[in-house]
Amino acid sequence: MVLKMNNIINTSIKNLYLNMNFGNVKSVDIINTYITHIKQLNLKLKAFVYLNETASIHLAEQIDKKIQNGEHIELLAGIPIGIKDNIMIQNEPMTSASKYLLNYIAPYNATVINKLKKINIICIGRTNMDEFAMGCTTETSIYQQTVNPWNFEYIPGGSSGGSAVAVSAGMVPIALGTDTGGSVRQPASFCGIVGYKPSYGLISRYGICALASSFDQIGIFAKSIQDTVSLASHLIGYDHRDPTSEKINCFKECNLSTYNRKNFIIGIPKQIMNFNIDKEILQLFNEAINKMENIGKLKIIEINVPAYKYVSALYKVIMCAEVSSNIATFDGIRYGYRSHKGFDLNDVYSYSRAESLGYEVKKRIMFGTYVLSAQNYQKYYYQAQKVRTILIEQLQDAYKKCDFIFSPAVLQMPVKLGEMLSDECDIFLIVANLAGLPGITVPYAFTKYLGLPIGMHFMGSRFSDIQLLQMAYIFEQLSGFNASKYPDIK
Amino acid sequence: MLVNILILNNKINKVNNEMEKYETMIGLEVHMQINTKSKIFCECSTDFGCQPNSNTCVICTSQPGALPLLNKQAIEAVVKTGLALNCKINVASNFSRKQYFYPDLPKNYQITQFSLPLCYNGTLKFIYKDKEKIINIQRIHLEEDAGKLIHKDNYSLLDLNRAGIGLMELVTSPELHSAEESFIFLNTLKDIVEYLATSQCNMEQGQMRCDVNISIRQVNQQTLGTKVEIKNLNSISAVQDAINYEYARQIKTLTDGGKVVQETRAWDSKLNITKSTRPKENCLDYRYFTEPNLIPLNLNDTLITKLYKEIPELPYLRKQRFMVSYQLNAYDASYLTSTKLLADYYEKAVKFSKNNKIAPKLLANWIATELISKLNVSKLNIDKSPVTSENLAKLIDLIISGKISGKIAKQIFVEMYKTSIDPVTLINKMNMKQISNESIIIALCNESIKENSKAAFEFQTGKVKAIDYIVGTVMKKSKGKANPQLVVKIIKELLKNSVNKI
Repeated sequence: MVLKMNNIINTSIKNLYLNMNFGNVKSVDIINTYITHIKQLNLKLKAFVYLNETASIHLAEQIDKKIQNGEHIELLAGIPIGIKDNIMIQNEPMTSASKYLLNYIAPYNATVINKLKKINIICIGRTNMDEFAMGCTTETSIYQQTVNPWNFEYIPGGSSGGSAVAVSAGMVPIALGTDTGGSVRQPASFCGIVGYKPSYGLISRYGICALASSFDQIGIFAKSIQDTVSLASHLIGYDHRDPTSEKINCFKECNLSTYNRKNFIIGIPKQIMNFNIDKEILQLFNEAINKMENIGKLKIIEINVPAYKYVSALYKVIMCAEVSSNIATFDGIRYGYRSHKGFDLNDVYSYSRAESLGYEVKKRIMFGTYVLSAQNYQKYYYQAQKVRTILIEQLQDAYKKCDFIFSPAVLQMPVKLGEMLSDECDIFLIVANLAGLPGITVPYAFTKYLGLPIGMHFMGSRFSDIQLLQMAYIFEQLSGFNASKYPDIK
Repeated sequence: MLVNILILNNKINKVNNEMEKYETMIGLEVHMQINTKSKIFCECSTDFGCQPNSNTCVICTSQPGALPLLNKQAIEAVVKTGLALNCKINVASNFSRKQYFYPDLPKNYQITQFSLPLCYNGTLKFIYKDKEKIINIQRIHLEEDAGKLIHKDNYSLLDLNRAGIGLMELVTSPELHSAEESFIFLNTLKDIVEYLATSQCNMEQGQMRCDVNISIRQVNQQTLGTKVEIKNLNSISAVQDAINYEYARQIKTLTDGGKVVQETRAWDSKLNITKSTRPKENCLDYRYFTEPNLIPLNLNDTLITKLYKEIPELPYLRKQRFMVSYQLNAYDASYLTSTKLLADYYEKAVKFSKNNKIAPKLLANWIATELISKLNVSKLNIDKSPVTSENLAKLIDLIISGKISGKIAKQIFVEMYKTSIDPVTLINKMNMKQISNESIIIALCNESIKENSKAAFEFQTGKVKAIDYIVGTVMKKSKGKANPQLVVKIIKELLKNSVNKI
């Protein structure tokens, strides 16, 4: 059986691999199909900023040769993947969607890229994002405005908006993003796909352009939990190049189909109701709770995490503090944008940065510098770290009573391009970053009012990633969400 | 330059009378390059003098996405130094970012230790004016070095080879009182870390640099005076000069009715003056915060115990032991223990020697004079000496046992240094063996007495010293090989006999 283009795009990555191995389809055909598809859809969606056509086809040909010669090819070899533009691929541009890095060529591979290359997954192109991943709409990019594939007037979410759109519209079956405060899970929810952020320390951060180092984690976009697991199992693992990487191997065997439904206990923080949640989202959330209760085995309980109310504030303080320091290296001296205005060293710094960094970036640098300054450190930064510790303790207590914390992914529906999301929109997602916990958004339904997809969020205790994916798999099945439906793009 | 010295001299003369009223308080911040093969947060080499920017990588040039990779040996070196200086060790410590913009600092922050240094509350002892002095060490912490800027007419060049090399920064309490004391403190410290091999403290390569905090106050005043910081002194003598200058300058300021302002000053080694670089109002806010890319350090007791056991006997104690065990005077003991390699060489030689009474003293003399001057000429370190400690000991034993004279020994030593051959083989080869055969010596003596009949007569008539002429002649005839003791004995006997004959 030869897979037709539509079938290729509708097939899970594991099945694509199997079809390739059995000679039903060639790797080159898969890649060509996707390249055509990307080129076509990108005119409207603007999800990709860079397409690596020649190298991708070349790699696909090599894989086909191997298959012809009867050589073994690794699982997922030949599968195309979209890579967020803040992950280093040697000899390719890496811009973080910033004017500052427009001419920058990455001198080395991120650890995740090495892992992908080792199993011959094809990094087909780079996806759009907010500048330095600062933003939640993909609107602060230097390049272009990526749009929501389900309605072009709406934002796709961000900062990994390009990757979310690419997977949602079938331009690639899987993509990588980075998640510092929900930047994978929020656009996944807005675009109707799975977005998974592992526990902090499971995937090496070496080679991802840092936003806030104590929160950053690489995340995965896919159409299904199965695809998510297939990819995650290759990326997770200790890396000596990332000192915060963990030696725990919680991903040895992860075959979802062998899982039995377990007697999971699901906690709902009572503080959720203190937030201003969109009515339709709240309604769907309650419906989802009922569905879970009805299948039996899953027990729903209420938990108490009072520190939820400080999440937004303490995230902003710590994130901006780290931003102000991490972005300092972009000074116009060794690489990147340099202004030729001015006369002395301070002019080089200030003109280069002023001319090349965007408004959101500057705002965060200034705020971060303020909270770290000698007279404010105790009041803001130190205080925020103290509250962060309290939040983590309260969550640890909560996980003594339940296996997962369940919430809507976001407080509100996507807004139209140019409009503002509420400051607290991603609050439930941010908790996972503050505490280093794994979180996953699973698409649940399309809202009646806007007709846009919306996801629900599960958050597990640290390193409970396997169980979390198992839970997400259960939820995926009971949600009734049609993952094989693609947006109609004309 | 001359003018400036004159001005300074005038200043000193003027304030000389005032000086007794004031005391100086000096605190030092000493940066020492940690002796490791690779940098502290990457695998780049720490070799000195390489092509600019050849020892760099994505980490030490701060490319996007790079993360620091901690070199554990650097931590061990700092802890070992701390233990040797009686410091307490922070078993749980961490790293912070010290933030400021400068092109030699690629990340525009320096990874250092702030709230929890590896070592704290230590002491360093030294002798000053025959009294033991103890200076408190507030902390020793680990940090990374910056690169180097080379300023040209209208542009600057950046060399990042040094960026990311591990440094230990040691901070003392303000308990030093003079340039001389500071000088001895720094030399003692240098000797200790060299003994520990935790830093080579090579001044020419900038491996030991110093910031000086200096204030003066009236004797009996309780509070400290206004502090001035002199930054980036790159030799011990510069520290001494800067302190002397600053001391005079501050007293002059006060006696002229002025006020010392809190500021940072730089030492101008060409003009020999300090210059104001940054008043206090402009002091930088470094916005320290915990480095999120590095997990907190947790040292285990096993490691600390292991490092403690590795600490060798330190120079101060070794000197004392040399004086007692080897009967050396303070000067020799101090000289021989000034570096670990020298002291090791000496002790090894002493152990090889079969004589333990005269040999230690003789070896000390030979090393301090003959060997060192030769090594200095050929610019070799003692551990690369062509004359091994074992061979030197053999040579000394040959002298003591009377098998060769001191003069011959020196000739043999020259050959030993050239060829690295042991002295016994050389003596045979060079036909340098001492002549102790009596009949040969008697013949030589008889000849010499005849040639020096005047001296012989003088000796016989009571002028004892006259014998030296005859002995000298015998030695000349034997090319220095005749056993001198035997020669004297035989000449005396011969002359006595001839008197009897008369």
